[in-house]
Amino acid sequence: MKPLTGRRGGSSPKTQRRWSPTAVLLRVLPAAALVALALAGPWITPHAVDEPVTAPFAEAGGGALLGGDQLGRDVLSRVLAGGRELVLSALLIAAVVTAAAAVIGAIGALRPTVGRVVERAADVLILLPAVLGIMLVALSWPGGGRLAVAAAAIVLGLPYAVRLVTHAAAPVAASGYVEAATAGGERLWFLVVRDVLPNLRATLLALLGLRFVEAVYVVSMAGFLQVGPQPPAADWALMIRENSPGILLNPWAVLAPSIAVGLLALSVNLAAAALVPQTGRKAVTLL
Amino acid sequence: MADQLIPDLEEPTSLSAVPAEERSARSPVARIAARAGLVVLKRSVLLATLLAVVFIGVELLPGDAASATSERGESTADVDRRRETLGLDRPVLERFWDWMSGLPTGDLGTSAQGEHVTGLLTSAFPNTLVLSGSALLLTAALSLSLASGAALRPGGRLDRIVTGMSTAVFAVPEFVVAVVLVLVLSLWTGWLPAVTLTDGDGSPASWTMLVLPALALTVPQTGWNTRIARAALADEARAPYVEAAVLDGLSPRRVVLLHVLPGALPTIATGLATSSGVLLGGAVAVETIFNHPGIGAVLASAIADRDTPVIAGVTVLAGAAISVVLLMADLLRDLLTVGQR
Repeated sequence: MKPLTGRRGGSSPKTQRRWSPTAVLLRVLPAAALVALALAGPWITPHAVDEPVTAPFAEAGGGALLGGDQLGRDVLSRVLAGGRELVLSALLIAAVVTAAAAVIGAIGALRPTVGRVVERAADVLILLPAVLGIMLVALSWPGGGRLAVAAAAIVLGLPYAVRLVTHAAAPVAASGYVEAATAGGERLWFLVVRDVLPNLRATLLALLGLRFVEAVYVVSMAGFLQVGPQPPAADWALMIRENSPGILLNPWAVLAPSIAVGLLALSVNLAAAALVPQTGRKAVTLL
Repeated sequence: MADQLIPDLEEPTSLSAVPAEERSARSPVARIAARAGLVVLKRSVLLATLLAVVFIGVELLPGDAASATSERGESTADVDRRRETLGLDRPVLERFWDWMSGLPTGDLGTSAQGEHVTGLLTSAFPNTLVLSGSALLLTAALSLSLASGAALRPGGRLDRIVTGMSTAVFAVPEFVVAVVLVLVLSLWTGWLPAVTLTDGDGSPASWTMLVLPALALTVPQTGWNTRIARAALADEARAPYVEAAVLDGLSPRRVVLLHVLPGALPTIATGLATSSGVLLGGAVAVETIFNHPGIGAVLASAIADRDTPVIAGVTVLAGAAISVVLLMADLLRDLLTVGQR
């Protein structure tokens, strides 16, 4: 039997790979650094983001380290400035979804009726590709801009997040001390906040990371399809879209924001994977 | 990707409603047929619910097709007149009934520009289906072979590389993958065309133009599905009959392919099915980059025109396509687990 049981999938805690705190830190560090750079980026741009400094699609060199974009604006400055709003809206979406999912999911585990409603909602929403859902909301809500994208991302992501929390909370809700508290006449809110949620810290932290990954994907997709930020805003996804006609003249105008989005998604994803609770087999399979 | 991070790996609950003795009394064929009917019914109800939610959601948000398409300097009376032409002044329920009752006949309503949505989509949607369908097949083949290869030697070098890579790539947006692929495989090496050109009938002129877009869709999804397949294989490897096969002295390759893989297939199929939505969504962005003649182009102009009815029409078709894939996964799971029930 030995050669077939992978330590990744083993059910006993012994066969699970455990990260030491240092290993987790090492995996979280690149993501944290990149997020910090994206947040601080607008303050350290060498040029103005909205004024031409070179010829359109000028090659790298001279005053512009990565050349110019389709209007001759400095690509480096726009890349530095173009991540803050993406990261901020992704953080907002992740935080709201995780917080709401934590409460609703805990209630769902304590009250099976709520849990069933959530299951059905997730079943329905799986038929709606996130990209289409965001388009629908952004177009039906003129002037919504980033807020519309964020609202759509929250609504579309919530059922899956709630389902995850419900599954994670089910064993806790069935445990003796919660039953005792219920029998003792504790109110639902007290059970959720005092008994169930404190036991789900690891799951919720992992969920926060995964929702951030997801939000980066959704927000950048909206930017690329031009339903979120509008030109002339500096935004990584929008830059990729705007500059792709000039990819032969100045590849950096497309490649630099692509690398930025790719690195952000990748590093945050690896960080989230390191935060996934390593104790329960089910959590690993589900996440 | 919303549906992805937590795939629907749970068993459906509908079967448990039928008592065990009643199930065993019927012939297997009748049982499978009844079960298939239930699954079809469930999927249809879910799809109808989604359409209702979409329609109502669009209604609840501020702005309608008439005001969204208004041009600068247009008077309120003009907008009102167009609202009347588009029938937007009628009660919501009446319009909802019209829209829903038109769906079975293939009528997807009228766009804000006054065209039939069905006509706008008939030439474009098949191209998108071919693109995301081939990406789904490619994903299935790649993730199955990578995961089986990794499962042969758990903890070995291949397993570590596959696990690490699949975790890394699944969150990278398709359009970023597409940009990198274009740069490397098209502009720098010149191996594949960077832009899709169309024939007279509106389909891609050559199959080589399908390779790059399909690859861009496949890479992130392969990452995701390899993870699911790897985990499902590891779960299945702990089953007693697998242990028996190993004790019988069968080679690891034989055990993985003939004993572990069949048991893991239902889970893997469900994981792949949940990919179909992401593939369709990602196709929209990827088509934009490659100028592929699919719904991406239709949606791009719909965004420019703020044309919600077109997007609702695309949602109907996408929802139906995803329902079919999920239905096939449901049926496959039933078929493979029929002996165990």
